[in-house]
Amino acid sequence: MGFIDRSPIGPDGRRRRVLVAMSGGVDSSVAAALLVEQGYDVVGVTMQVWDYTSCGIEEGNGTCCSSLDVDDARSVADRFGFPFYVANCEAKFKASVIDPFVEGYLKGQTPLPCVNCNTFLKFDHLITRMKELDCDFLATGHYAKIEPGIDGRPTIVTSDDSWKDQTYFLFTIDPEVVPRLMFPIGHLNKAEVRKIAEEKGLVVARKKDSTGICFVGNQGYSNFIASQVSPEKLIGGHIRLHPSGEIVGEHAGIHLFTYGQRKGLGLATRKDRSESEAPLFVLRIDAETRDVWVGDESHLFSKTVQVREPRFLGAFEPGERLKVKIRYAHKGAYGRVLKRDDGSLEVEFEEPVRAVTPGQAAVFYRDSQLVGGGWIP
Amino acid sequence: MAHLTQSSKNAIYLDHNATTPLDPEVVARLSTWVLDWGNPSSIHQAGRGPKARLRDARLSVAQMIGASPLEIIFTSCGSESNNTALLGALAALKSAGDLRRHVLASSLEHPSVKRTLEHLAEQGYEIEFVPANRSGLMQAEDFRSRLREGETVLVSCMLVNNETGVVQPVKEIAEAAHAAKALMHTDAVQALGKMPVNLRDLGVDYASFAGHKFYSIRGAAVLFVKRSSPFQPLIFGGAQERHRRGGTENTLAIASLGYMCTRMHEVPERAKHMASLRDHFESRVLMEIEGVSINGAESPRVGSTSSLLIPGTDGETLLMSLDMEGVQVSTGAACSSGSPEPSPVLLAMGLSRDEAQCSLRVGVGWGNTREEIDRFVEILKKVVSRLRELRGWKPGAVGESSKSSLAKASLKGQVV
Repeated sequence: MGFIDRSPIGPDGRRRRVLVAMSGGVDSSVAAALLVEQGYDVVGVTMQVWDYTSCGIEEGNGTCCSSLDVDDARSVADRFGFPFYVANCEAKFKASVIDPFVEGYLKGQTPLPCVNCNTFLKFDHLITRMKELDCDFLATGHYAKIEPGIDGRPTIVTSDDSWKDQTYFLFTIDPEVVPRLMFPIGHLNKAEVRKIAEEKGLVVARKKDSTGICFVGNQGYSNFIASQVSPEKLIGGHIRLHPSGEIVGEHAGIHLFTYGQRKGLGLATRKDRSESEAPLFVLRIDAETRDVWVGDESHLFSKTVQVREPRFLGAFEPGERLKVKIRYAHKGAYGRVLKRDDGSLEVEFEEPVRAVTPGQAAVFYRDSQLVGGGWIP
Repeated sequence: MAHLTQSSKNAIYLDHNATTPLDPEVVARLSTWVLDWGNPSSIHQAGRGPKARLRDARLSVAQMIGASPLEIIFTSCGSESNNTALLGALAALKSAGDLRRHVLASSLEHPSVKRTLEHLAEQGYEIEFVPANRSGLMQAEDFRSRLREGETVLVSCMLVNNETGVVQPVKEIAEAAHAAKALMHTDAVQALGKMPVNLRDLGVDYASFAGHKFYSIRGAAVLFVKRSSPFQPLIFGGAQERHRRGGTENTLAIASLGYMCTRMHEVPERAKHMASLRDHFESRVLMEIEGVSINGAESPRVGSTSSLLIPGTDGETLLMSLDMEGVQVSTGAACSSGSPEPSPVLLAMGLSRDEAQCSLRVGVGWGNTREEIDRFVEILKKVVSRLRELRGWKPGAVGESSKSSLAKASLKGQVV
């Protein structure tokens, strides 16, 4: 698929129809409002993904797609007079987002559920809906942009708001669907988005940003995990010092830790460690022995990272020097992306990166262009 | 700025089992009724008008269903009537020292019956749901064989199913219940305006109706409690409805329901009109859309309801696509969140989840026209063929229902 005419009116004089994924937050609300203003035939949809009443989350408070958020999205649709529907995705969300999230923690990983939500719901389920509802495009409120690449094909590039940029979560998108995607707020920053929401009188203008993981909410992820699995799966283990293997403490479950973590190790009161000693960091979580290895920060750095199940949105030359982000908040580091015999990749960084964390993604960029990514085992 | 709260002019409304539009005569009278704003319980003059509205409405309702005005309790909605009937009857019996705890109900009941019974199960009642089959028609014999005299205290079976329109043999079930000394409740919410209803003839002890399924405004419903039947209120603290339902009455909604009851003589003619549209619709769809079958087609049905199974589609998308084309139908019971789940009624009839997911409920009303039905069929054909093309559906492909148990080409369902 090459160049796609994205103007609001098609050659047949018909207005082009856009399905907008609306979470009830300010970003997707403004995305919908901008498309209406540009003259597209907008249809709004919210995925009902999770029964928020079941996990004691205060709805509408940093959540996404809860019933109060659905009301907010619907009120935006009412305001502009476009059709709005709720798609029931609870079963799919449970199977492809919640279950892998919980399993990831039990395997000692730090999972990244937003990517799975994008992979299996937004850019799969809603792509199907887009076609079935006779829409030309699917729009979301992601901070990302679509621009023509060197060959003229539409590619995903980073948002103008580099702080909010969300392309990290988009590496699994099938390149075939990119020509049908729209990110209407990708050229704006958060303050501008809020300003537009204010100007247009949207009820969501001053709504709190959803932070963290939508279905976890204020209860904290460890309480969430505890609510999802039987207690015998969350038994504790030893905290061992690297490299000696000395047991320096006990913990209440490997799901409570992440790589590079410093606080909350429960080691502060140990008498044999004086205040002046260097702080300890989580270096490795061993799900089989349930050992949490801690040690000096210097051991947290690595020059290489393995990348499984790689996905590419565009051309890529093995051995190419790319910018790689190993977590959402990582500003990125340059390295050579090598192909291995088993189909996985290995990144050789120019400078060591800190706290390579299993369960997170390594995402590759060529300048601002999203090239692809994969999972850190 | 446009607002989507009013249905647009060209829309085709075919979801009358969810709610009905207001009868124009009701709309014309609302401005008069609303002026009787006083509290009907007041002794002073302001209470007289509303009290008269209540009295008139009670008389009309009683006449319409063959009951005495003393047997009519006004409630707020069908769900309240169902809850009150089940909880009120059982609570009264329990206080009177009745030790029977076995309750029978059809497995096709509305959630306001089903969930209430599940709640009673937590209180020590033994709830038994009588299974249904693909015909959607409950058999009196299946109730009779499960009734246990001395243990079964209450039986509940709806009169008309909300999704298939199948008319259940409530009279026979009530006879069986009474033979075993059990009480009988029927949720008759879907019957009003679709078929004549006579409670004396049905022989039930409790029955529920709702005004908004009958072209009057929302907020008024009826609970029929046969004289001398055990009953305890759900809402205490008011002398209204002869101490059987506390709370200041919604006189406006009650007046509109009462008024519509005076129009009950129109029902046979209206039912004939709806049946002719429904039959026309079904014969066109069966002829012109491949693979379609009709749930409950071989059972006696009200003439207004059609439950279609359209393999190669998805009810949720079908509904959205049709709505964008201006056709308002449903995939099943309207859910408060607006997010559709596969119909529990169809699942209880033995349809697979996949089959239930590709079903569509069409509810014809008094005001529909043949032209609307024809327009709907054309839109449906277009939408179905687009969805099937995207899904690569072929006749006989996965998702098509078993042919043997379903009426495919013939329409044997009699019109009641």
